[in-house]
Amino acid sequence: MTQPTTIRTADAAVVGAGPAGLAAALELGLAGLRVLLLDEQSAPGGQYYRSPGPEAVREVGDHRPAGARLIARVRACGVRVLSGHTVWGVEDDRRGLLAAGPDGDPVIVRADRIVVATGAYERSVPFPGWQLPGVVTPGLAQHMCAEGVRLGRSAVVAGSGPFLLPVACALLERGVRVLAVAEAGRPYTPRPAALGALRFPARLVELASYTARLARHGVRLHQDTVVAEASGRERVREVTLVRRSDPRRVVGRHGADVLCVGYGFRPQSDLAQLLGCDMGRDPATGDPVPLLGAAGRSSVPWVHVVGEAAGVAGAPTALLRGRAAAFDILAARGRTVGRRSRRAVTARLASLARFNGLTSRLYPDPARLTAELAAGLPGDTLVCRCEGVTADTLRSAACLPGGSDVPALKGSTRAGMGPCQSRECGPALDALRGRGTGAGAVPARVPLRPVPLSTVLHLRAFGEET
Amino acid sequence: MRKRTAPRVSVTIDGRPARIRPGTSVAAALLEQGRWDFRTDPVSGTARGPYCGMGVCLECEVTVDGRPAVRACIERVREGMSIDTSAGEVGP
Ligand SMILES: Cc1cc2nc3c(=O)[nH]c(=O)nc-3n(C[C@H](O)[C@H](O)[C@H](O)COP(=O)(O)OP(=O)(O)OC[C@H]3O[C@@H](n4cnc5c(N)ncnc54)[C@H](O)[C@@H]3O)c2cc1C
Ligand code: FES
Repeated sequence: MTQPTTIRTADAAVVGAGPAGLAAALELGLAGLRVLLLDEQSAPGGQYYRSPGPEAVREVGDHRPAGARLIARVRACGVRVLSGHTVWGVEDDRRGLLAAGPDGDPVIVRADRIVVATGAYERSVPFPGWQLPGVVTPGLAQHMCAEGVRLGRSAVVAGSGPFLLPVACALLERGVRVLAVAEAGRPYTPRPAALGALRFPARLVELASYTARLARHGVRLHQDTVVAEASGRERVREVTLVRRSDPRRVVGRHGADVLCVGYGFRPQSDLAQLLGCDMGRDPATGDPVPLLGAAGRSSVPWVHVVGEAAGVAGAPTALLRGRAAAFDILAARGRTVGRRSRRAVTARLASLARFNGLTSRLYPDPARLTAELAAGLPGDTLVCRCEGVTADTLRSAACLPGGSDVPALKGSTRAGMGPCQSRECGPALDALRGRGTGAGAVPARVPLRPVPLSTVLHLRAFGEET
Repeated sequence: MRKRTAPRVSVTIDGRPARIRPGTSVAAALLEQGRWDFRTDPVSGTARGPYCGMGVCLECEVTVDGRPAVRACIERVREGMSIDTSAGEVGP
């Protein structure tokens, strides 16, 4: 089955149709540039504005109508939206993007400017039983609730970060009993570091409204609490919660058929890395992020990186970063961009950054928390769920000469070499290698996503012909 | 806030007909039917279900209209779609 390669050209190609990519595409489109907006999901919106199709929205409601309005504006200004397109590699000159279309058909996109807006994904830390069906990330729960699905009869929500609260509320709204919310840190006990956040009451009011709703439903919010184990045969049946500071103390055993666990978000910066952008580490989380100048400029002159791919900072920041990069690209092309709007974007970004700094101080440092939890894992815990590698296997391999080096550890155990390319186990792998930090690296490996072999082979043949 | 019910799309899940709300993901379609076993893990032989919901973990892969390894969480249902979860039960 050989499908012909489609080649598309544009002034700018934006990868990722979340808030950041949409905002960038809108400004570029409004200025008259030919813009291609690629995203592997079935429809634009990214994580924040993801919603089911219009028929389903009419039935189950739209939890974020601003997304549909933004998407309509993007389409109206002439941006070509290519949904169902997975970018899995780049051409040798690091200008062309290699993608697989909706049926796996090969697509090459060549543009003068590339805007990487690939977003973030959730940080996982393995625990016994995390591979059982019914154990999911909070993000999956939120998306399925938005699609009108009642995930199960009763759920436990655990991990760390502000995102756990709206997810618990979304589950309640769909008729799922929430048995407990377990937060690993102690963010909801005011501490001096937290008081600075009082200058940003709107966001605090939002958090408070979630806690109030949980209290009304009688949902216990446990702090200093983590999941010790999920058990069940074909699906999760029981969840054990323990004190983080004293793991022998059981906080609760819950009969639940859904368990949502997540530790915040990690930037998905692999495409930026593949394009040759110089990489550094996020000062707050240790995650790999591209080194960026003003307005998301990377070290590669034709690549801007925006949104969560540039560092996790929330949806409002993602939108502004997208706009700022578009203004920068337009200015470089000699277009006049109102100085007032550019200044306003910069000022709002700075104020949001202050708030993000304060909120992140409320929750435990994710890398240290990962290292702590990984150190306590029972030996038979599946750390790499793709390749079936246990904590004990990794610990023994890490003791061998050279074993504390992540590539060596992967080579000797196959951990992190499966389809998810260590996106799920990466931080834990890093923690278990002995000297590791728990921050985790995600080496950008081609293909970024498994794509049909025929797609890759066809492209290769095609490249040789021309 | 329940609204008017849209006409369902007809799909088959492992050969059995099912009527699904249009515009939803294949993952949502399976979960609504109470199906959490999307595939069999070739390494351990145990059932796996969707995990990340956003295309990065690959745990939700199913066969759609004969096309293998389609991520159910980011693919939407279409009229007449055939969804098959038996991949991984036999070797490639
Ligand atoms: C379920 C969920 C809920 C969230 N809720 C909130 C919230 O309430 N408030 C908040 O501030 N933040 C929230 N976040 C964090 C959220 O990621 C950001 O705030 C926001 O979505 C970031 O926008 P973005 O445009 O940077 O990235 P995203 O919205 O993540 O969009 C990135 C897009 O890029 C696409 N993509 C990635 N790689 C490729 C590739 N190789 N090829 C093709 N397409 C690709 C993805 O499919 C995705 O659609 C949430 C995150 C998740 C996962
Ligand atoms: S649930 Fe992770 S890729 Fe679909």
